[in-house]
Amino acid sequence: MLNESKPTLSDGTRIEDLINVQTREVSMRLLSDHEIYRLEMDRIFAKTWLLLGHETEVPNSGDFVVRDMGEDQVIVSRDRKGDVHVMLNVCPHRGMRVCMAEVGNAPMHRCVYHGWAFRPDGSFIGAPIEREQMHGDIFPKEQLGLRKARVQLYGGLIFATWNIDGPSLEEFLGDSKFYFDLLFCRTDGGLEVLGPPQKFIVPANWKAAAEQSASDGFHTLTLHRSLMETGQYGRATADDIYANAPAMYGVDISCRQGHSLRCIPAEVTFTMFMTMDELKKLSPEQRLEVLPPPGITKEMLPELKRHMSPDGLKLMAKAPPQVGGMFPNVLVLFIYAPRTDGKYSGALALHTYVPRGPDHVEFTNWIFAEKSASPEMKRDMMANAVRQAGTSGTIEQDDSDTWPHMSRNARGAIGRTQTMKYGALLGEKKPADWPGGGYVYDGFTKDDTQWNWWLYYRELMTVKALQAGDQPS
Amino acid sequence: MTTATASRGMERTDPLPVTGKRIATGSALYNEVLEFIYDEAALLDEQKFDAWAQILAEDISYTAPLRITRQGPDRLNTIVRTTLHFDDDYGSLMGRLQRLATKSAWAEDPPSRTRRLVTNLRVWETAKPNELEAHSYLLLSRSRYEQSQLQIMSCVRYDLLRRSGPGAFKLARREIILDQSVLGMANLAVFL
Repeated sequence: MLNESKPTLSDGTRIEDLINVQTREVSMRLLSDHEIYRLEMDRIFAKTWLLLGHETEVPNSGDFVVRDMGEDQVIVSRDRKGDVHVMLNVCPHRGMRVCMAEVGNAPMHRCVYHGWAFRPDGSFIGAPIEREQMHGDIFPKEQLGLRKARVQLYGGLIFATWNIDGPSLEEFLGDSKFYFDLLFCRTDGGLEVLGPPQKFIVPANWKAAAEQSASDGFHTLTLHRSLMETGQYGRATADDIYANAPAMYGVDISCRQGHSLRCIPAEVTFTMFMTMDELKKLSPEQRLEVLPPPGITKEMLPELKRHMSPDGLKLMAKAPPQVGGMFPNVLVLFIYAPRTDGKYSGALALHTYVPRGPDHVEFTNWIFAEKSASPEMKRDMMANAVRQAGTSGTIEQDDSDTWPHMSRNARGAIGRTQTMKYGALLGEKKPADWPGGGYVYDGFTKDDTQWNWWLYYRELMTVKALQAGDQPS
Repeated sequence: MTTATASRGMERTDPLPVTGKRIATGSALYNEVLEFIYDEAALLDEQKFDAWAQILAEDISYTAPLRITRQGPDRLNTIVRTTLHFDDDYGSLMGRLQRLATKSAWAEDPPSRTRRLVTNLRVWETAKPNELEAHSYLLLSRSRYEQSQLQIMSCVRYDLLRRSGPGAFKLARREIILDQSVLGMANLAVFL
């Protein structure tokens, strides 16, 4: 049995030894072990801030969606005052699921088993046959509400955590918040979801997806090689892709908490911009006009200027963050999207990789646009996002076919003793006029950001202060 | 309840309405459509993508809405057409085929072994004399690598077929209504 006070597995292996800090190796066992998975539910998914959706999914009083915090299903709902609440979808009476729909509007949630009823803020209304007091005489009604998580909105994104007294979301985002602000908090109206998220199951451990979302740039050259062969990325024939290495040079950023982003100039990646030699001669101001960041139009630039510092704006002009992740299980995809008609658009998407046991992960894909975008632009951005990312996306269908192999390999008696290697570090290097903080890596994208992800994972899985025993009140 | 739930992108949640006259099962016209549907399934199962491209109309709309679990008065409004699993036109479908022809479309190389079982075909006339509404059930089974359990996807397809010659049609619209709200397949690198 698992020793909870010292993070040691039942065969005596210490979890901290599964991530070798000296050789920067991560044991494959982490991608399949059931004990580790259980511990992750306690130490990560019951402890860190988790992305559950966007407030535009629940615009009205009583609106709700059902989401997951690790294996715990929760109701995300808006109350009459306009506040968003997150509560466990488990009836305190007998443990039945309270809300059976995945989206809807309800002034109250009544459990279909015995009829205990709850308000959109989770508080207990009562059990049927009030005169018989079927909720009993032991707990007062105030103590019989649905278990509430701590909620914080950021750029309209709904985050929640069971760590009631833990760090704030701002503290958790740390030095990466400066960069995420450039993506999520840049217009007057902010972002909106263009519809409910795509959801599908990948037979893989959640970390196979999550460690890649920690800004694995290198895999693009080989796994996503079809983008270069079809002429979207790079200015190369199929035979000199590695020599030209599109999408590899830029500035990667990350921080102690494992979040990361890749800031990449458009002309480093996309064929259509590589041939625009005039881009190099433009001032940041002119560049913004000619090539606004993904999802932004020329008309929205005054809004950007109101919401960003001049330094932030300069970064968005030269090398907007296009891809990255938030610890533990979020992928950020704010990319330029070349279209079949020779023009380009943007695709804005966020994914969460929700654990479904050690061997499965639920891929959730939200697609966004700025609220102030025209209906035509929103329609176009939906199409571009669907064609590139998520279920049928021609980029990500290769990813979801890869992670199951890693996870399967991690189940073998020998396979699980093998390691994933993060030996290629670039080292911190900040460009002279770089506006943001955190760890900054200027140059060829290497293993730095992913290694930082694993170091934070190791910290959460082993540090005493974050043990499963300290239940949030 | 209905007004508020319709708020976020769930405006059209009904199946496609059909208004034209039903084409009798077993009639000559029905059999023509059935042969088209069977032949198309074979083209995809045999991965004859160049031939499949030939039967696509250049104004094709190829979409797969989301399905969603709802309860109460709106419980039958489960089709969401704001977010889609497929959102393609002719150009983007050609892009998908171009990708499949590269040396590195890994999601289908090695390729899946698929079987498209098409049944429950119903055909209607439309307002246009050269177009037919054809609805069919599809059960796709997919085998990848050494997996011994087949991956399964079930759906109904709302097709619009346009007469392109004697005994020939083009696919002018396909709307794929999947039955899962959380898809059990790791990707849709195959056509439905």
